[in-house]
Amino acid sequence: MRPRWRKVFRDLFSHRFRTMLVVLSIAIGIFAVGVVLGTREVLVREFDVDYRSSFAANVTYFSEDFDEDLVRRAEASPGVAAAQARRSATVRYRWNGSAEDRTLSLEAFRDYDDIRVDKVVPVGNAQWPPGRGEVVLEAAAKQVGDYAVGDVLRVERADGETVELRVAGFAHDINAVPAQFVGYETGYVSFDTLGDLGEEPVYNRLSLVFADEDISWGDASRKASALREDLFESEGLLVRYTNVPEPGSHFLGDIFKAVSLLLLALGVLALGLSAFLVVNTISAIMAQQVRQVGIMKAVGASALQLDWLYVFTVAVYGAAAVAVGLPAAAAGARWFTDYAAEILNFRVSSYWLPWWVVIVEITVGLLVPLLAAAGPIRRGVRMSVVRALNASGMSEGKFGNRLADRVLGAIRGLPRPVALSLRNTFRRKGRLALTLSTLTLASAVVISVWSVQTSIERTVDDLESWWQYNVQISFALPLDAGAVEAEVADVAGVAETETWLGVGATVIRSDGSENESFSMVGMDPASEFVGPIVVEGRWLEPGDTDAVVVNTDAQNEEPSLRVGSVVTFDVQGVRDTWKVVGVVKGQLGGPAVFCDAGQLGSLLGNPGITRLVVRGTDPDPDAEQALLEAVEDRLVEGGYQVTNARTRSGLSDQLREQLGILVAFLVIMAVLLSAVGVIGLTGTMTINVLESTREIGVMRATGAQHRSIYQIFVTEGIVVGAIAWAAGSVLSYPLSLGLVRILAEAIGLPLSYGFSWVGVAAWLGMMLAISGMASIAPAFRASQVSVRDAIAYE
Amino acid sequence: MGITIWDVNIGCGGDAVAAVPSDMPVVRIRDLVKVYDTGEVPFTALKGVDLDVYSGEFIGIIGKSGSGKTTLINMITGIDHPTSGEVVIGDTPVHALGENALAKWRGLNVGVVFQFFQLLPTLTILENVLLPMDFCSTYPMRERVPRAMALLEAVELADQANKLPAALSGGQQQRAAIARALANDPPILAADEPTGNLDSKTAEAVFGLFERLVEQHKTIIMVTHDNDLASRVRRALHVADGEIIEERVHRERHTG
Repeated sequence: MRPRWRKVFRDLFSHRFRTMLVVLSIAIGIFAVGVVLGTREVLVREFDVDYRSSFAANVTYFSEDFDEDLVRRAEASPGVAAAQARRSATVRYRWNGSAEDRTLSLEAFRDYDDIRVDKVVPVGNAQWPPGRGEVVLEAAAKQVGDYAVGDVLRVERADGETVELRVAGFAHDINAVPAQFVGYETGYVSFDTLGDLGEEPVYNRLSLVFADEDISWGDASRKASALREDLFESEGLLVRYTNVPEPGSHFLGDIFKAVSLLLLALGVLALGLSAFLVVNTISAIMAQQVRQVGIMKAVGASALQLDWLYVFTVAVYGAAAVAVGLPAAAAGARWFTDYAAEILNFRVSSYWLPWWVVIVEITVGLLVPLLAAAGPIRRGVRMSVVRALNASGMSEGKFGNRLADRVLGAIRGLPRPVALSLRNTFRRKGRLALTLSTLTLASAVVISVWSVQTSIERTVDDLESWWQYNVQISFALPLDAGAVEAEVADVAGVAETETWLGVGATVIRSDGSENESFSMVGMDPASEFVGPIVVEGRWLEPGDTDAVVVNTDAQNEEPSLRVGSVVTFDVQGVRDTWKVVGVVKGQLGGPAVFCDAGQLGSLLGNPGITRLVVRGTDPDPDAEQALLEAVEDRLVEGGYQVTNARTRSGLSDQLREQLGILVAFLVIMAVLLSAVGVIGLTGTMTINVLESTREIGVMRATGAQHRSIYQIFVTEGIVVGAIAWAAGSVLSYPLSLGLVRILAEAIGLPLSYGFSWVGVAAWLGMMLAISGMASIAPAFRASQVSVRDAIAYE
Repeated sequence: MGITIWDVNIGCGGDAVAAVPSDMPVVRIRDLVKVYDTGEVPFTALKGVDLDVYSGEFIGIIGKSGSGKTTLINMITGIDHPTSGEVVIGDTPVHALGENALAKWRGLNVGVVFQFFQLLPTLTILENVLLPMDFCSTYPMRERVPRAMALLEAVELADQANKLPAALSGGQQQRAAIARALANDPPILAADEPTGNLDSKTAEAVFGLFERLVEQHKTIIMVTHDNDLASRVRRALHVADGEIIEERVHRERHTG
């Protein structure tokens, strides 16, 4: 090998620590970009693969009981590719020996080996199909409880008898809403088991897939309406709820979109950060090589030869970083994907990264450093020999000419080491600008993530104001309001009660098509059991006729629901027109429409109520839980079939859980990006100190003790950290505002923006600690060098 | 110390200089001016210097610190550019060459020796000597190592060939730097205070080495502030305030 190439490798090897630092700096950039983009790509692809392979329904009817004959007619209907019937029932149960009542949504199929729509797949050694007395739980149940095979679920039948179900394994159903989002688990049982639970062995739910794979949402709605009339209404069967999701769109699609957008935005930021980091590091390396460039030119090296020498050096750094960063990024993306898959309840069959992600990673590792190095290499190599040889061996920081220098120079009364640190900081202005850019961006991202979290917390707090009650109880069938309220009136802890009627309703559009069913909730317009946040228009008022208020979820799905618009709703087969008088913030609980309970009741022939809300005497979460158990026990004793019971704190926890997914993603990204910033600072401080080795020698020769030297460099690091923190704090405001807007747009919920002063303060502490620590190690090493060697340092 | 083995061709190599007739100067400097922009007041380091150097001469440039002697030698090596005036070496107008052309020209025609040796710290002594041959592509690959070893042998460093510079004493490093300067067999050797960082015994050895090279027709231009050494060179030029104020020619060449 020629001496010049040997020099490259020897330089890399002899400055092992510096090499490691540079490689690590580039590798962390590759890692950040790779993890973010890789996760996004694998997530999107695998989610899509899993969702498509589930053969998701275009329409699902929740109806009165029907038989096999209706299923055959459905299958034979034109334009229907597949039909799948099942029975769904909601029961309350106690897990192992627990005294807590929980809700379980049970599903039963006739033939578990031939589920054609919304496919359910057994996981591992699950008993499939589940035997009599067994239940196979949807795998997401494990997110809310440590369920295991062999666990016993004691289900309470409507007649008060208890039936034990043994957990026989787990199954995956991407179309089942994950337990942590809805507050109940889903389980699969046989018809025999359902019979043991007192359920009729017939179907009550039909899911259809249309033959047209590219069907529009509007056409799907129209077709769903026509089929409802043909299949159900012509037979006198009532369809309580029709679900027509946007074709090809999963119900968690909004959250997924938000996560994906966030990942993309952070990926771009990570790319920018790593580019800054690389430019910074390579500039420093080149500054250190200036004298050697002079020597080589003095013995005959041409600029082109030296260009190649340093391009090769940078390429070696890049290649080493790619070798480290690529597998690390793949592992990171895999971990992140698994994390997301568990939360969003989908299966990952392949972690294969798209080629373009690998290309981007390699570009970050090789091309960005080379581009970053181009300027410094050119400047260093084209420097005249005499200037290169007379350079201090390092970057030539000029101090004293600029206004800032003179201001710093004029400051009196500072301890000498502090004054030196301040002036040193501003000596290498180009380096300072690069370091500050990197750290400012990292600071802005970290503080922004904090602000996004604050905004989410504030939004949850706002949304919580909806629930001005402590317990809500849902019933399987409409009940007499007076009887229900009388039943619980004397339960200890009950202060006030109110009853609501909830039914499924669809919007009949002007072209005759329908949307998927919304929940239509009838309540007292003067109810004090809810605290709506009115986004537009007003809330219900006593005396309103035909007035409805819609939530933001409903407006997102059906934009025609504007304040002032007159809308036709099909409510349980009865059509009536209503006027939208207001829009309120939703609680991510799905689209809902609110109206006067009296008017809704009279429209449907006064069927009764389906929900009881209770205000307790003690708002404490434990007291709420006790109240819930007491009320539910009393109702069950009274023969009422409860399908769901929730406390206010449980509902708000669920809300936090849903939005918390986004926060969790953001926090992971923030940690990653701040790691880039920290390594950048460490690298810069290390190189700054190395460059000052000769200065340290001079200081020690003139009597400076180790402590003084540490003080100088640690102060310099802290000054840099503090400036970056201040600039990052300012930049974080527009950045966090943008991130919050992206999120709000994606999840379809206006978020209440909150700037995180806690984040600003916390990051200041972290930044000062990190920048101080990043300077100590190199200052220590530099101080250990003998005065003679330090002065001769190159 | 005796340097007896000069079986390496260190004779008058260099493309342009070799072709100069013996009665013509190999270095011709005319009205050379160098002004440094040091801020508010420009500093004139050379004030219209004229100088001719002939092949095989051993020239000493002496003067106090800041007199302009290093600036003058930097003009000859092309390490620095003049503000005005001409530096012609052989038939090459060095003052008119760009940095890139200068590097190549210098590698072939002028061996540079620095006060602080300036060996590349991560290359062994042998590799440092090989480096100019590598950059200038002189000598076939298979001849380079034997030649470098012969040069190190000549400066009595063959046994140190595979050591890094940091492992050598100052005198050894300077001898290695001289071997490196001779790697491409340049006709001219320019040394800036080559003994300035050495003890007197080692300095004497290095000076002796230069005398042997002059005997073998190398042209040596050496900057020094050591009047004793200056008295032993063929021509001594005294520089003060950017001008050659005195020139002494010693008839008897010292042979060590």
